[in-house]
Formats: sequence, structure tokens, C-alpha cells
Amino acid sequence: MIQNSGELKVLVMEDNPGDFILIEDYLSEEHAALELQRAENFKMAKEMLQASKNFDTVLLDLSLPDIKNTETLVKEILALANGAPVVVLTGYTNKDYGMKTLSWGVSDYLLKDEINASNLSKSIHYSIERKKVQRQLYASEEKYRTLFDSSPLPKWVLDRHTLEFLDVNQAAINLYGYSREEFMKMTVRDLWVDDEDEIEQTVEDNFHDFSSIRVKHYTKSRNLLFIDVQSNPIIFGGREARVTLAHNITEKLKAEKKLRHSQQRFKALVQDGSDVISILDENFHYTYISPSAKNILGINPDKLIGSNAFEFIHSEDHPYIEDKIKFLGNKVKSFQLPSYRYKNGEGEWRWLETIISDLRDDPAVNGLVATSRDITSFKLQEKELRESLERYDIVAKATSDLITDYNIENDTFQFSNAIHDIFGYSPDELGTSREWWRERLHPEDSKRVTEATKEIYNNHKKLLNIEYRFKCANGNYKYILDRSYVISDAEGKPSRIIGSVQDITERRKYINAIERSNERLREIAWTQSHVVRAPLARIMGLIDLLKNERNNLDNIEEIIDNILNSSEELDKIIRKITNKTEEDF
Amino acid sequence: MLEVIIVDDDQIVVFIQKKMISNHEIASNPVCFNKADDALNYLNEQQQPRNKKDFLIFLDINMPNMNGWDFLDCLENNEQKSSYHVVMVTSSINKEDKEEAKKYSMVRLFIEKPIRSSDCEKVKEISEISHFFERV
Repeated sequence: MIQNSGELKVLVMEDNPGDFILIEDYLSEEHAALELQRAENFKMAKEMLQASKNFDTVLLDLSLPDIKNTETLVKEILALANGAPVVVLTGYTNKDYGMKTLSWGVSDYLLKDEINASNLSKSIHYSIERKKVQRQLYASEEKYRTLFDSSPLPKWVLDRHTLEFLDVNQAAINLYGYSREEFMKMTVRDLWVDDEDEIEQTVEDNFHDFSSIRVKHYTKSRNLLFIDVQSNPIIFGGREARVTLAHNITEKLKAEKKLRHSQQRFKALVQDGSDVISILDENFHYTYISPSAKNILGINPDKLIGSNAFEFIHSEDHPYIEDKIKFLGNKVKSFQLPSYRYKNGEGEWRWLETIISDLRDDPAVNGLVATSRDITSFKLQEKELRESLERYDIVAKATSDLITDYNIENDTFQFSNAIHDIFGYSPDELGTSREWWRERLHPEDSKRVTEATKEIYNNHKKLLNIEYRFKCANGNYKYILDRSYVISDAEGKPSRIIGSVQDITERRKYINAIERSNERLREIAWTQSHVVRAPLARIMGLIDLLKNERNNLDNIEEIIDNILNSSEELDKIIRKITNKTEEDF
Repeated sequence: MLEVIIVDDDQIVVFIQKKMISNHEIASNPVCFNKADDALNYLNEQQQPRNKKDFLIFLDINMPNMNGWDFLDCLENNEQKSSYHVVMVTSSINKEDKEEAKKYSMVRLFIEKPIRSSDCEKVKEISEISHFFERV
């Protein structure tokens, strides 16, 4: 027997008073706490159902005075019943008709002729229980629905045959940018980027099964997504469908790619870089050395592990390094070692420059990190440069010549100290421009020097060797011999002019004196050939006449007088020359 | 016909040359000038188209005012240039004067003073005028 647990509240829709009393009797037999209400027609029932929502069951007689259409009646009451089970009581013996009302949603139907206390009560209780289960089922469906709709992972349901979208959740809408309406007009093929054949094949192969595939999808705005798809076959609204979970892994792939690049970069830096990176323990034994040691030092990194770094360092350089590393452990965390010599794999000394970082506190390193670079070629260049500069300095000091260094691009001169010794210019009187130099050229020489300088720029002349006069600080001019050499840059364009300027004033004066005396000597020679020889030629001619033409001469006395006069004239001239020579020198 | 002219500022030299020229039968009575411009004027007077004459000129270089070179420069432009045969006679033993003389086409000979017998023989052998001295 059914336990009378709690009060049973029943609405009985019955126009026949006899039938109602019968029902009341039956129910009272089974239920102590019974609240029975009667509606004699549809209108009454409607009012009562709207007024009170907590009927446990509605008993419905299909033949009511104010409504003829049974289907309308049943559906109206079901809608008003507020979830309470509706049990139909009918006089018809047609079972098919009763089945029909079941399909409309009523919980049970009973033939009035067959009703007794026990089966009425049983029907009511079964109906209540069935409704309860139905409600639970419905609630559970609601839960699943919510799970689908509000899942943060994009999900959709596809028709298994056509791949049309049947449902899609908010996350999918957010991810792809299509509205729900747009989705409902699409198939999943519209998302695919490529590999269509492969996806179709997977879909086909797993028609009745779980499937998982990685695909590329486009969003509505054509952004490329990488999606891991998991799909299960389901029945959805009576159709064969698939529910699909789309896991967006685009960011993850990007991050993986970044990580891979970063690892490759690190590898490239450590293995192929120009630095050797090593980790040393407190006693300077190698615990790690980068693979680049092979390229740079010709040493196999594995063989170095465990050995002491000082074994490879030139003994003369030990003190400098020890001097530096004794500060280790103080607050200094990173410092540079003075450059030192290191024996490479071939036994040659290479110059290294090293930065030490104390990372003994870092558990990942637990040692001193030494970053070393081979600076041998730099060292050699430095040495050559220093020697060359020293040579230049010595030459500039040793020579009394002025050494000039003119930078063409910057238009700046540099002068050695001789600029003061030769021309008397003090540092504050010195200019550095080409114009300053040009202004001090002797006006008579200026054009010639300018022309010669043009040769450097126009005809790529390398050497200039020219004498001219240059103004001193006191306004006097000095004769100088300027020997300049042009240095060209990589493109062959003149970039610098190095000059050696020699004071040749003394020499020039001496040469001028010699030139003057030469001039005088030429005069003397001319005088001799013309002035001296004139009376001499006369004497010779007259004597020749006397000797060879004596027979044809009328006045011999006169000829002899002429010889005498000419001899005296010659004597005078010779005395004059002697006097002139003496006064000149 | 060949007319001989002596141009020299030194009387004694003129005297010596005159003697030598006549004694060596180059000319019996040469015309003498102490100044070059006088000689130039004389030549211009003598030179007439009808009166076709050759002149043998003994020319000194160093003379006051117009010297030998100036004299030559004046003759150089003369139309009758080919009829002037110049013998430079100078006391200079300077090479430069000898080189300078070569520039003038009229200069046939260069003689250093004093003029000697051998020089007179060379004058007679100058190809342009040698036909005047051929013995009949």
C-alpha cells in the first residue's frame, strides 16, 4: 500500500457530481490528509489553477460542458498545471484515444468504469513520481546546456553528414567572430584553411567514433588559428551529430616557436660566437667551457674540464691577474682582467681579454663566469701603431724641420714644435686652417704654391716638393722647402697631407749671393771678350800689317803710334777690371 | 758688280781692314762708315731697281747707338735682301755671338779680329760672290 506521506492536494475536473463523490470516496480510503477541490467546468478549473500553483495532481474528465475540443482542453490544462501531473478520466472505451492523450503529455488515463480506490491512488502516485523524475531529467539537461553554453572552450555541434553547424557556444562565437546566426548558415568547412582532404578523411574514418585532429582555421577576419579538435558523435535533436571541442593552441605554438628560436640563438651565441664562455670554480678549475673554445682557441672543451685555468696563462701575466682576482668575494661582482697571454691548442700564445662575473651565489651556475675574447690581432695592431707613433715622435723631435699634418676633410693643421722654433709662432698665435697657412705665403709665391697644391687634388699627385717664402710671427719672411706626402683614404681620395718643412733661408741667402757673384763673373767675362779684346785685336791687326804688308804701307810711323795707343788702352782696361773685382769680393 | 762696304766705329780697325781688302784685291777702294745708321742710309740710297748691285758688307758687332745686330735686323726686311752678303767681323771670341749670327741668312762668314790674309781668301770663296773674283 502506498504510504500516506504528507497531504495530497488534488484538483478534480468533473461535471458529474456522482462521479466526483465516487472519486472522493476512493481517495479518502487511501489518504488521510487529502485536500480535494472540484471544478465543474473548464472556466472554473482555469481560475483555480491560476489561483493556486501547488496542486499535486489534476484529475481531468474529458467531457466538460464548456469545451468541446478534447485536444485543446488537454493542452490548455497541461499548460496551466504548473508541472503537476494530469491524469485523464474517460468514459470512452477506445484505448487508442487514450494513447493519443498520452502523446499530448498527460501522465495517465483511466476508464471510469474500471476505477477503484487502489488503481486511482496508484495512478496518481505513479504520475507524481514520474513527473518528479522528468523534472530532474530536465534540470540535468539544463545543467548540460549551461556547461555547453558557458564553457570557456569553444564548442559546437555539427550535423554528422552535412557538417552544418547545429549549435555553437559563446566561446566559439568570441573566438571566430561569427555571430550565432552566421554560424547556423555555415558548415565547419568554411573555417578550414587547407588540408581539406585530410580532415574529410578523418571525419569519414571516425564517423561513429571519437576523433582528434590538429587543424588550421580562419576567423571571420581571416586571422589564422591553430586548433586541436576533439569530436564525439552524439544524437542531437534526433539527428546524428558531433559535438566538437576546439582547443585554440595558436598562442601556445607561438610561444613554443619563440622558445625554440631563443634556444637556437643561445646555442649560436655560445657555440659559434666570438667569445669563449667558461665557468670556473673557486680554485679556477674549469667546470664548463663553451663549444666556441674549439674554434677560437683550438682546444677541445671536454679536455679542459677540471684543469686549472692558470696552467694555460703565461707565467709573466699571472701577477697582474692575481692582483685583480684577490678582490673576489668582496662586493665586486664583475670586473675585467688585464689582457693576458693564453696558450692555445697549437701551443701558440694568444692575447685574451676576459670579464669575470662572480655567480657563485646563483645555484644554476655556482661558479665564476669568464667571458673571453681573442684580441691578438688587435694587440699586434696596437703595438705597430705605438711603435709608429713613437717613431713619428722621435723623428719630429730629432729633426729641426717642421712636421705638418693636414687633415683635408676637417681642414685642420697640426704642427710640431718647430713651428715656434722656425717661425716664432706661439700656440695662441697659431691657426689651424688652410686659409691661415695660405695668408702667410709670400705674395710673389702664393700663386705658384696654390697651383702646385691643386695638382694633389686634380691629378692625384702624391709628392709635393716646393720652395717658397713663409711669413714669421715678426712679419719677416723665411725661405722654406716644403716636402709633402699625400695620404689617401680607402677610395683613393686624398685625406691627409704630411709635410716636412725645412728652413732654407740661410742656404737661400748663400745661393743668392753665389748667383749674384756669378752674374758679376759673367759681366767680367763679357768685358774681357769685348772690351779687352778690342785694343788687343787692333794691336794684332796692326802688327800683322807691319809684318806681311810692309811694302804697301805709306805711313809706318802712324801705325806704330796706333800700336802704342792701343797697348796703353789695353793696360787701362785691365787695371780697371782688377779694381772692380777687388771691390766686389 | 760688287760694292764693298766697311762698318766699324774704330778708325784703326777700318784702316787695317781697308788695307787688307785692297791688298788682297777684294776691292780697290771700299766705302767706310763709323756709324751703322750711316751705312744703312747709304745702302737705301744705292738700292734702286734699275741699278742691280751686290754688296759685300764687313760688319762690326759692338758699336754705340745702332750695333751690328740692329743693323742686320733692319736689312732683314729689305726686298733686296739676297744681294747683301754680310761678313761679321768682331773682336769678341764669344761663342754666343757666333750662334746669334747663324740666325741671319745674309751672314756669309764670321771673322774674329784682327782680319788676316787667310780670312780674305775665305771671303773670296763665298759661293754667292765667288764669281766676282774669278781671274780671267
